[in-house]
Amino acid sequence: MSEEIVKIKGSAAGGLQLTFAPQATFASIYDDIRAKLTDGNGFFLRGTLVQFPREVFSDDERSQLTKLFHKYGLIFRPLESGTASHSGHERHSFASSLLDQETPAATATALPNWMNEAVAAAENAQSEAPAAEPDPAPKATAAEPAARPAPAESAPEPPAVQEMVVVNRTLRGGQEIRTQSSVLVCGNVNPGAQIIAGGSIDIRGTCRGVVHAGAYGDTSAFIVADQLIPTQIRIASLIARSPDAPAGSNEQSAGAERASIKDGQIVIEPIKR
Amino acid sequence: MSEIFVITSGKGGVGKTTTTANLGMGLAMRGKRVVLIDTDTGLRNLDLLLGLENRIMYDLIDVTEGRVPYKKALVRHKKVDSLFLLPTSQVKDKTAVDPEALVKLCNEMREEFDYILIDCPAGIEQGFKTAIAAADVAIVVTMPEISAVRDADKIIGELGRAEKDTIKLIVNRIRPQMVENGDMLGMDDINDILSIDCIGQVPDDEKVVTSTNRGEPCITMSDSLAGQAYRNIVGRLMGENIPFMTFPKPGFFEKLKHVFGH
Repeated sequence: MSEEIVKIKGSAAGGLQLTFAPQATFASIYDDIRAKLTDGNGFFLRGTLVQFPREVFSDDERSQLTKLFHKYGLIFRPLESGTASHSGHERHSFASSLLDQETPAATATALPNWMNEAVAAAENAQSEAPAAEPDPAPKATAAEPAARPAPAESAPEPPAVQEMVVVNRTLRGGQEIRTQSSVLVCGNVNPGAQIIAGGSIDIRGTCRGVVHAGAYGDTSAFIVADQLIPTQIRIASLIARSPDAPAGSNEQSAGAERASIKDGQIVIEPIKR
Repeated sequence: MSEIFVITSGKGGVGKTTTTANLGMGLAMRGKRVVLIDTDTGLRNLDLLLGLENRIMYDLIDVTEGRVPYKKALVRHKKVDSLFLLPTSQVKDKTAVDPEALVKLCNEMREEFDYILIDCPAGIEQGFKTAIAAADVAIVVTMPEISAVRDADKIIGELGRAEKDTIKLIVNRIRPQMVENGDMLGMDDINDILSIDCIGQVPDDEKVVTSTNRGEPCITMSDSLAGQAYRNIVGRLMGENIPFMTFPKPGFFEKLKHVFGH
């Protein structure tokens, strides 16, 4: 990827942060942002906080940008100088490295929102808890290409994660559960459905959709289902998918199974319940 | 007490319109007063299947926009005189029908008819939303094929979101021999994923094609397997308890013949 004028990544406050190529003019920055806003369908959720280093713009330029973002329902605010320390643009964004190496072409145009949030949370972890003791086992990065400078630490999840979301129905194609807590589904998760949880996922039924546990970096999260035959399993920053079985072979697992991270890999093992 | 059904599927080509025509015809042949509303504006077909194309004077858009009363736009079927069609426009598009106007129209029609069947367009966009707005019961048509089942699943989710909770399933175009050989999804596989009440299993039948071309729904043909299946569905809709058809399997001797190469 060549040098971009405007880079977007997750920020400390749980929103997005912009960094700019050093030599870029204001006009080119403005145009680039506008282009991104117009075509980045679904990437910029309304109400997202967008931050930028305060010293880059004059007051006039800042108000122009604020208006632009406001038009698309985004909140644009200068970053407090204290936390601006990591605004350098040399660092790889987790999200874009994922895009380059992991995600198939189908999703490459617009970064899925969950990744966006996951990035935000991961960055959050880095900048808000610099004093936390070093993570003893950076397992998450073992299977991840080494693009990310620091592992997604498991420790500080966003607060108020203790409760659990209970879904008392079958999740059908196109439906999505997105939460920072754990999820219990009493019903099936059909192909095309998605669960993105900050905690663990328990499915009392058959899981055929996409499930992401520990979406905010919790590598101790796990996924349990009576029948675990998902399209994709994601735990923290690891992704596994079901093997490409020959068409028509209808493989059914015998009983309940549990997926969790062991030695930097997603491992699925049968359990009793 | 009249009932409003919407026949929908998500995916195109699974047999929504064929099902609508056959169920309408079947209910009417049982002496019920039935109206079929085509909401597939711009791609109307229901009139063709009933052989009524050349009798259309006004359409759904004329009615919802208040140019004519609905009774003026209804086309009576040429053989079964308690069956009516409210065709839609071939020149306008899906945005031309206002959901509220359709709801109002259906409520007006409740006075006159026992069953109102709405033929829904493919897709999940405005046309779909309009078509389901008035319905009491949704009939989801699917085929034993992975993409059709996937789309049916999505549609059931959308119906749930629109608070249409009475949903029935019809599986169309089953090829028993392929299911037997494991080359096609069986009813168990489909029920496993969709898990809603199934009211019909219709076999794939060449007679459907000929009847479509002739403008006479196959439910009128006594020798058609699909026609028999549709007659069973009509009975179930009227509250009768009819077991599902079993498809004739090649008998033991025929298999034996195969073995010995006859």
